[in-house]
Amino acid sequence: MAKKALIVDDNLALARVTQFALDRAGFETQTARNGRLALEAAQLMQFDVVVTDQQMPELTGIELCSELRKLPGYQDCPIILLTAKGLELELPRLREELGISGVFSKPFSPAAVVRAVEDLLNTYV
Amino acid sequence: MFFRRPNLGLPRRVVAYYLLFCVIAVAWLSVGVLVTSHSVLNTRGVNSSLSRLGKLTAALEVEYIRGGLTNLQSLVSQAKSEFRAHYCSIESPTGKFLAHSNPQFIGQKVQEHEGSHLRWGSITGVRFTDEAGKTHQEYRVTLMAHGQPFGSLRVAVSEPSLWCTFSEVARLAPIAILIPLAVVALGAVVLGRVTSPISEISKQIQHLAELPQEASVELTTVPVHDTFSLGWNRIVEALARLQENPENQSLEQRLQAATSSRRESQHADILQNLPEGVAVTDMEGRITFVNRAVASLLGETVPEGTEMQKWLCPSDDTTEAAPLLDPQLASRPAVCELHRHGEHADRVLRVSRQPVKNPRIQGQVWCLRDITQQKLAEKMRDQFIDTATHELRTPLSNIKAYAETMVTCDEIDVEEQKEFCNIINSEVTRLARFVDDLLSISSMEMGSLSIDKQKVETARLLEEVLEKVDPVMQQKSITFTAELPEKMPEVRLDKDKFIAVLVNLLGNAAKYTPNGGRVTLRVKLDNSLMQVDVEDTGVGIAPEEVSKVFEKFFRSSDPRVQNETGTGLGLSLACEVVRMHGGEITVESILNQGSTFTITIPVE
Repeated sequence: MAKKALIVDDNLALARVTQFALDRAGFETQTARNGRLALEAAQLMQFDVVVTDQQMPELTGIELCSELRKLPGYQDCPIILLTAKGLELELPRLREELGISGVFSKPFSPAAVVRAVEDLLNTYV
Repeated sequence: MFFRRPNLGLPRRVVAYYLLFCVIAVAWLSVGVLVTSHSVLNTRGVNSSLSRLGKLTAALEVEYIRGGLTNLQSLVSQAKSEFRAHYCSIESPTGKFLAHSNPQFIGQKVQEHEGSHLRWGSITGVRFTDEAGKTHQEYRVTLMAHGQPFGSLRVAVSEPSLWCTFSEVARLAPIAILIPLAVVALGAVVLGRVTSPISEISKQIQHLAELPQEASVELTTVPVHDTFSLGWNRIVEALARLQENPENQSLEQRLQAATSSRRESQHADILQNLPEGVAVTDMEGRITFVNRAVASLLGETVPEGTEMQKWLCPSDDTTEAAPLLDPQLASRPAVCELHRHGEHADRVLRVSRQPVKNPRIQGQVWCLRDITQQKLAEKMRDQFIDTATHELRTPLSNIKAYAETMVTCDEIDVEEQKEFCNIINSEVTRLARFVDDLLSISSMEMGSLSIDKQKVETARLLEEVLEKVDPVMQQKSITFTAELPEKMPEVRLDKDKFIAVLVNLLGNAAKYTPNGGRVTLRVKLDNSLMQVDVEDTGVGIAPEEVSKVFEKFFRSSDPRVQNETGTGLGLSLACEVVRMHGGEITVESILNQGSTFTITIPVE
């Protein structure tokens, strides 16, 4: 059964291409335009991995992450953060506090994100 | 001068000299008294001897007539004791002793004494010194009987020595010497007291004599004992007045004093009028000086004598001012930023403290500066960098992601390829526009954004605008109406920039108006004024955001606006271009019903 991935990004074009790449890799994907919609979607369906942008209206990626951790079934769910702000330096802290598995700095390579997601899911399985 | 003791002081020297001369005088007098007494005693001895000699002669002559030589020896012996004489003798005309107080010599030949000869009337004498060194006077009287001399009386009396006289006089010494000495001593005491004011004055004058020529003269008054000290005090006061009184100073001194006092008052004025707060505190932290700015920066009057810390941290929360409050760091410079909550707006103050150690000021100098604007500018800059990073990275991310996907994925159908290329194309356009806007904003910031006014046909200008916006309107099925005036004369304005402003306004209208909405462009030309309205039936602007839409990088927090791409630079640039044409741009909007942007510019 295909793994389910949730892509959260207010930049629809970027969400579209990330979704395209993950689809091609055999994932079952869904997109959300902001954190609130993402939380709603996560409650309706159990996703295996969440790929989220950091800078979004309403909820930031990090805020979304801490909200997700409160939901049942998402305590250990791998989360990948896409950011335009160079948060990769803070990855150790983010990993420690929120369990964020990886940070990709924009502009990023969709193929690299797909590889990271595949690695994470293999590790978790 | 016999000796010089300058450190003794004039009055003491006077007393010392007085004592010296007095003691010499007393000694001289004492010697004089001794000598006079000796002489008087001597004369008295001679007189008494002479008068006794007369009596003795008469007695001897009578005895000789009565009884011959028999009783003469006993009379001579008696006379020796009466005279207290050295000896007493009678010599015969043949030169032999007829009688002698020392009977051994009777019958022996008389020995003549060597010495100076004396004479008192019929009495002769000789003054001689015996073997023992004592001086004697020998008196000689011829003894007569019946008109014939029968012998010669010789009586030798010792002269009193000087030592004898001294021991005689010494008994009078307590009265004769000690009393004058006591009087002299009393005189010295009185003299010392009388000259005591001179002592202090003489010290000052001596000190004055040692000063260099140019040194300023500083004299002090002395306690008033008499008119002398009073007179000195008058001199001191007169000199002080002379030095203080500018009329008596040299031109140079007056100029110097005037310059320095003017400079001081200038410095005080400058310090008072500094926009930055300056305060000085003493070693205990109490304020000794504050300028006006301190009160306005802290928002309350700061009186001198109070503690600076109290004003800097009126509340209990002292975490911000911790470096300023730590008593262990009081001797070091410290800087911190304090947030003050004012009635109208919050302020950020930068407070720096610098210890000062010089002879005139000991304590700390505090500087207070309002850095609210600087903080705001820093916040704007951070926000700008944030926005710029986001605006550059977002299209770049899209371009990279789509390009990479197209390169790496083999199974992309033609439709998808076309869609991806369109996205890349529009992202590149967006990036290019952002860079253009950024450059324009940069020019605007530096004041180098210029407009190039030229004659433009209004009809042609509007035509170009419509050409650019029509496709966007059609894409969203927006009913676009352009209400243009019948007469469209030539106007003078910067064509390219003005077109960009109108395209921006119409583009915004199209962007934020839902599909099927309505956008109207209304142009009115009235004499020398051109008014352009851009009206839409879009999402509108919330009342609290209306005033901010022309700010750089401002973007509404409305999610319907956030979902569209935008840099927050377009309206800010439009506003600047209109302003440079001497016009103004205004906006009226009702949330969820639509907005109307109005440009009014003078045209020639």
